[in-house]
Amino acid sequence: MPEMPEQSATAGRRFDTVLIANRGEIAARIERACRELGLKTVAICSEADRDAPYGSTADSFLCIGPSSAARSYLNQDAILLAARLTGAGAIHPGYGFLSENAAFADAVEKAGLIFIGPSASSIATMGDKISAKRAMMAAGVPCVPGPDTSLPDDPTSVERIALEIGYPVIIKAAGGGGGRGMRVVPKSDQLHEAIALTREEARKAFGSPSLYMEKFLQHPRHIEMQVVCDDHGNAVWLGHRDCSMQRRHQKVVEEAPAPGIAADIIQPVGEACVQACLQIGYRGVGTFEFLYEDGAFYFIEMNTRLQVEHPVTEMTSGLDIVQAQIEAAQGHVLNLTQGDVTCKGHSFECRINAEDPDTFLPSAGVITHLVLPQGPGIRVDTHIHTGYTVSPYYDSLIAKLIVHAPTRAEAMARMCDALAGTEIEGIATNIPFLRSLFEDHAFARGETDIHYLEHWLKLRRAA
Amino acid sequence: MSAIDFSDPATIAFLTDALTTAGVHGLEISRPDGQLRIVVAGKDGARLSSTGAPPRAPSSATAVVKAPMAGRFYVEHPGSATPQKLPRSVSDADVVGFVGVGHVLLPLRASRSGVLIRLLAEPGALVGFGDPLFEIELQP
Repeated sequence: MPEMPEQSATAGRRFDTVLIANRGEIAARIERACRELGLKTVAICSEADRDAPYGSTADSFLCIGPSSAARSYLNQDAILLAARLTGAGAIHPGYGFLSENAAFADAVEKAGLIFIGPSASSIATMGDKISAKRAMMAAGVPCVPGPDTSLPDDPTSVERIALEIGYPVIIKAAGGGGGRGMRVVPKSDQLHEAIALTREEARKAFGSPSLYMEKFLQHPRHIEMQVVCDDHGNAVWLGHRDCSMQRRHQKVVEEAPAPGIAADIIQPVGEACVQACLQIGYRGVGTFEFLYEDGAFYFIEMNTRLQVEHPVTEMTSGLDIVQAQIEAAQGHVLNLTQGDVTCKGHSFECRINAEDPDTFLPSAGVITHLVLPQGPGIRVDTHIHTGYTVSPYYDSLIAKLIVHAPTRAEAMARMCDALAGTEIEGIATNIPFLRSLFEDHAFARGETDIHYLEHWLKLRRAA
Repeated sequence: MSAIDFSDPATIAFLTDALTTAGVHGLEISRPDGQLRIVVAGKDGARLSSTGAPPRAPSSATAVVKAPMAGRFYVEHPGSATPQKLPRSVSDADVVGFVGVGHVLLPLRASRSGVLIRLLAEPGALVGFGDPLFEIELQP
């Protein structure tokens, strides 16, 4: 029997090989960061992604399961086996899939490997929206009005809570997120029915009937703070992003910094986020998401992972967030103080999706022609190439188009040029839709809230 | 659609492989000229029924044994004294090799009767899920 070179344990938090437990553009992005840090990479794939280009540039490439995500990218055992077979010392979960799965983070560490992310307990605390809110209130992070406890069963108590908050209120599942498991209650006569429906949905979708109630904000913007922390009590926030341009709770365009918010309003919130990280012993990168309305911030949730939109903050801060995340996992001391953090210029990111620009139905197929934009201040994070087959199994994100310029207006103009210079044929993409969005006057003035895009699309369909 | 001949054993073998890989238990295709029904049944292998045009005899159909998971590929058990030679006749229940992770070896069964004619992966190599490992020439 041939000798087995597999190894399973690492000394301390050191590792020299990273298994990337993800696919698509983020797998390519993480691979690049690892290479720049001198680390070896193991790319994994499902059957549908056998031809992924990041597979040929990784040091090892292994197919771990069938095309369905449940049997490949979400298959914890298959990923841990792949790490053992290839001698990887750490696992980077990317975003989506297992990135915010506390049980997976725990299983990785128990297998003697490093999970590139926060501890399982940090993920679990932030994954439960009630415990997250409690932790944030304790750290002085402003939260949406409403108790930091789950709703009682007693109807009279629930009515009293709603009255104290003031209608309209929103009922949310404690285990929910990403826009799922929530219901707006405009008036008191709809309260009990809304609670019964949401509780049943929460039980079915998230395995827990636990609900909580908050004030429903009418016209908020979505503003988020990027943080990076080490294991030695150091944490900084790298600035803010505006991700208000959303369709069905999915971000479409993101920008940094968030326009039109005075530094004296946003600064204390960023500092409170840093304090919260220090209090919960957070490690790695993370994002605090807020609603912002009438000059006030309200915490909604923390994403305990790398985010899709991290590049806009990289462009304005000059820091490689993925490298910082990996170095934090290695146990390095954060080589950055808050005073070193700057925000230069303005950056936009467009998510290029393989979908019909009008109906938004996913579009799978072979890319027959591809031209990506180039020039100063233009960055494209992608894994696609001419001849690449966009599979129907996964998220439709195929590329991220990122621009950077001295001012917001210049960055918008640069994005218009970059979108015009992008040619993708063989499949449908949302580029025509993004091009019209970047010609919108309200967007240009920075006057849009989280409902703006839905209204804009409705008007566009009616026209 | 009409270009696909569902009475062709190679097509049926391909579909059966695809169903097994995807963990789907059955498939039924109805067309004006006939009907094909494949049921993947646990240990007994696949059953199929076809009506309409009579199936044609295969010219020299082959089947490929693929890796059911990622691991190291072994053509023989480490305790085996006699090396396995090629080509050799195999029946569907025969263990033709192993995929190993650490000290755990997962036996690979031929799943078809025929002649094992070729290795498609290097012994000792790291193989991924679905990687082709053996080629079996099917016997009618």
